[in-house]
Amino acid sequence: MASLAATFGRGAMTNHWIDLMNTDVAMVMGSNVVENHPMASKWLAKARERGAVIINCDPRYTRTSSFSDIYCKLRSGTDIAFVNGMINYALQNELINKDYVLNYTNASFIISDKYSFDDGLFSGYDPDKRSYDKTKWAYELDGSGIPKKDPDLLHPQCVYQLMKKHFERYDVDTVCKITGAPKDVYEKICKTFASTSAPDKVATWLYAMGTTQHTHGTQNIRTYAILQLLMGNIGLAGGGINALRGESNVQGSTDMALLFHLLPGYLASPTKADQSLEDYLKTNTPQTKDPKSANWWGNYPKYITSLLKAWYGDKANTENDFCFDYVPKRSGDYSHISLFETMFAGQLKGLFLFGQNPAVGGPNSNKERSALEKLEWMVAVDIFETDTSVFWKRPGVNPADIQTEVFLLPACSSVEKEGSVANSGRWAQWRYKAVEPVGQSISDLWILDALHKSIKKEYSSGGVFPDPILNLSWDYGSGEEIDLHKEPDVHIVAKEINGYFLEDKVVNDKQFKKGQQVPSFAFLQNDGSTCSGNWLYCNSYPGPEKENNNMARRKKADAINNIGLYPEWAWCWPVNRRIIYNRASVDLKGNPLDPRRWVIRWNESAKKWEGDVPDGPWPPNEKHPFIMKPDGHAWLFAANLNDGPFPEHYEPLESPVNNFMSSQEINPAIKLWHKINPEGNAVGDPAKFPIIGTTYRVSEHWQAGAMTRNIPWLAELVPNVFVELGLELAKEKEINNGDKVVIETARGSMNAYALVTRRFQPFKLNGKTVHELGVIWHFGYNGLAKGDSANVLTPHIGDANTMIPEYKAFLCDVVKEVI
Amino acid sequence: MVEKAILLDMEKCIACRACQVACKQWNELPAEETTFFAAAGGYQNPAELSPSTFTLIKFNEMEKEGKLWWLFRVHSCMQCVDPACVKACPVEPVKAMTYVKETGATYVNRELCIGCGSCREYCPFTIPVIDTEAEKSTKCNFCFDRLENGMEPACAKACPTDCLVFGDREQILEMAHKAVERLSAKGRHPVIYGEKELGSGTKKIYVLPEPLEYYPDLPKNPKVSEDIGLLHELLNPPSSILTGLGLVFGGVSWVANRKKIIIEESKSEKEG
Repeated sequence: MASLAATFGRGAMTNHWIDLMNTDVAMVMGSNVVENHPMASKWLAKARERGAVIINCDPRYTRTSSFSDIYCKLRSGTDIAFVNGMINYALQNELINKDYVLNYTNASFIISDKYSFDDGLFSGYDPDKRSYDKTKWAYELDGSGIPKKDPDLLHPQCVYQLMKKHFERYDVDTVCKITGAPKDVYEKICKTFASTSAPDKVATWLYAMGTTQHTHGTQNIRTYAILQLLMGNIGLAGGGINALRGESNVQGSTDMALLFHLLPGYLASPTKADQSLEDYLKTNTPQTKDPKSANWWGNYPKYITSLLKAWYGDKANTENDFCFDYVPKRSGDYSHISLFETMFAGQLKGLFLFGQNPAVGGPNSNKERSALEKLEWMVAVDIFETDTSVFWKRPGVNPADIQTEVFLLPACSSVEKEGSVANSGRWAQWRYKAVEPVGQSISDLWILDALHKSIKKEYSSGGVFPDPILNLSWDYGSGEEIDLHKEPDVHIVAKEINGYFLEDKVVNDKQFKKGQQVPSFAFLQNDGSTCSGNWLYCNSYPGPEKENNNMARRKKADAINNIGLYPEWAWCWPVNRRIIYNRASVDLKGNPLDPRRWVIRWNESAKKWEGDVPDGPWPPNEKHPFIMKPDGHAWLFAANLNDGPFPEHYEPLESPVNNFMSSQEINPAIKLWHKINPEGNAVGDPAKFPIIGTTYRVSEHWQAGAMTRNIPWLAELVPNVFVELGLELAKEKEINNGDKVVIETARGSMNAYALVTRRFQPFKLNGKTVHELGVIWHFGYNGLAKGDSANVLTPHIGDANTMIPEYKAFLCDVVKEVI
Repeated sequence: MVEKAILLDMEKCIACRACQVACKQWNELPAEETTFFAAAGGYQNPAELSPSTFTLIKFNEMEKEGKLWWLFRVHSCMQCVDPACVKACPVEPVKAMTYVKETGATYVNRELCIGCGSCREYCPFTIPVIDTEAEKSTKCNFCFDRLENGMEPACAKACPTDCLVFGDREQILEMAHKAVERLSAKGRHPVIYGEKELGSGTKKIYVLPEPLEYYPDLPKNPKVSEDIGLLHELLNPPSSILTGLGLVFGGVSWVANRKKIIIEESKSEKEG
């Protein structure tokens, strides 16, 4: 998501599930799509009926590989080399969509002469801080403050020329040496993919955790995004960069800011440096001097003010900065790894876990489980008794030694309550309660509402700084007292998320009355006259009645362009635009680049756009298409990322080979937890742990397994944790199919059944043979189907921008279990 | 109603086992206790069809002509158009193995079934499994009860990729032929299985993207044993009473013995 935001302006799947059927080439990399998103297979199958080609790159031949038309082996952690090579192929052979690149990306922009790159490092690097001075990568500005450009793309410091220089180091032989990909297949893939640079051909890119869960995860996505921009595939039907989210509602959860660095709607959460609302707005509101840049984030003040009004109502006004002082200011690293390191050091007292099972799902399970023991209290809210909730009596531990007070609150499942679920395609679909909750289980909404009531009660008689709690504007229809029989009204919540007017107001010549729902975020104000719990969802519930709930619509008619938009089935953000960046799908006159699958088109006589909701109503060429970027262009060169404006290959923290590209072995900008807190963070030596290890999922189980390992029919299908390893490795280790084995890393070891298979083949890396094995990570010590957790193997190390743990590439060894 | 069928367009199968679970859910079948996987080369569970498992996915991992293949197929009752199991069923006056004229669905009527095992004996695919405790035959019932109510079988409904498609057999055969065209056009070597097998074919129509040698446990030329007619004669004697009586008594005791043998065979299979 950080990467997509850096490149395009928004962190979300650019297209949507059904749109996959429109593609000519689907690249599945860093994803096992048919395994983990089976419903997507339906749409891919439809694309294939039209002659589309599905390409799959994976260290292992998976169920997706079986479904695909071309499969290529790719060593875990080498996506950047692989795709940088594809970019190089496109650039060298001039297989790019020239007009698109020139007009819609920052290819022509000129970069400061302070920018350079050498031996794996960009200019501005501070090796002690392990960070870059990004001002060295700034644009050259003209007199009016607008970035200088060379429309001929020849200037040596223009992004295009810098790109050519940067990517020409990724020739085919180098790529195959690093990735272990077979040369003939790799070249076939380069050729097939580059063919979609033609305006009437389009490719879609599907990725998931195989891409993100690396120390260079953000840059992995950047390389995909750059390639897709060169192809001119962003904003088109059947195109895009499609992040396949890992949970049915994780898109909804990130939209609502269940991320440590955000507020709802992907607004930044304030830091200690933001002493006032003005400071905060100065830090976060991008400016532009270019009249053709819509710079939609320029509306920051309206969105944050409306959010604060939603939280604090009448208490928030211009005199008190709209209660900005009440919002917690970040002063540290609150990412998952950091929280657990802090917990391990005994510095976190309590932990709330809503539908989360870190004892199984978090990296470095041994350290994280030990960390939990230091808590004073834990509240686990879940539909099953998770492994985490019983960490205190897990195998090998004496409950008498653990002081943590643990509460398990019974949550009900999504079919036992009403509300919305937002899928990867940004579609928020309203759902109804099908059955009464089982036993005493109850909705998360009720639980949170009750928590608020209790906490408010406690704070009304003391506590440190009670104001932010006591002044919350909070009434969702469940009464003053906690009452198990009074469910808060989810419609009141949804309507507040959409937002409403707090006073009579005229906006854009329209009269609105106090209490009236805001029709869309174009009407939100920065003067306190509107509230909105999430500006992105403004338009989801634009009227007072249930019939006005756009998320509940179920009309099956497609739009006039018949590309599967289904505009009146549910609702998506923003403002029901199904394919974002769609202004890039037309030329400067508003004519579709791909008329067969047109997304929007300009109707000259009616003077309006047809098809999908356009990315802004302005007529053609009045605004640049990437409206969320301050300069309106998609960023081939992204100067705001921590590890560089261009993707560069580095090895994972634990790697069996040296980096063939430079002397920088690992990502120079990652936080080295093993140096900060060595305990429990040992790094494996390739001499002792020569095998690449990875973790992944199966269709039959779900995440940390609480929901599926307790279902007998699913436990029947996959009853035990297993490791997949190749024939050659198995022979070397004298392991037969079905044997029990021990897999070990520097951090821990686990037992599993061995599944010996041809689907893992050794990699030849510059002559050296390296093996890879993989373990499914769904298992834990609790539940009907039990087994060791793969995450005892993985390290506490994360991406340079997002801190997402490197679950996907580490070093291990495997031996037959001694009985 | 018209004779129904299910298309199994196996290129689209992702071996997710939604069909397996949907079948259990609809038929209220329990999960079996399993360990690891039942066969090499994939994630198959359980090992065989049983009174608790009416359908399962088989995985075949192989290297052929320098290429790696991982092919999946559904293993379940083929719902033959002219079912041998129905012919074989000795129960009188109404057969336990029931054929529904309207849809062609074949299912076991548990109230009538005596668990003799003749259906399994004569099934060219050896599908029915005798529940030795309940003394009943068990197999896929084509969701005959769903069909009666205008719904499609649970497996077809659950399949996320439209690999399994339910419809009229004629329409399904057309779709199968179209699928063959589609697969041939992209260089695959498709085969339809179930159109003409056993003469009149089956109601589960496979489109296999590669020939039968890639699916080694699918019988190439399934046949119904010719003595199925003799069995019938034995159990349903001709008008001649003289030979008839003797044969009938012989036949009944033969059946009773067969039942005992089948039950013992099943028991030893389970324990062995």
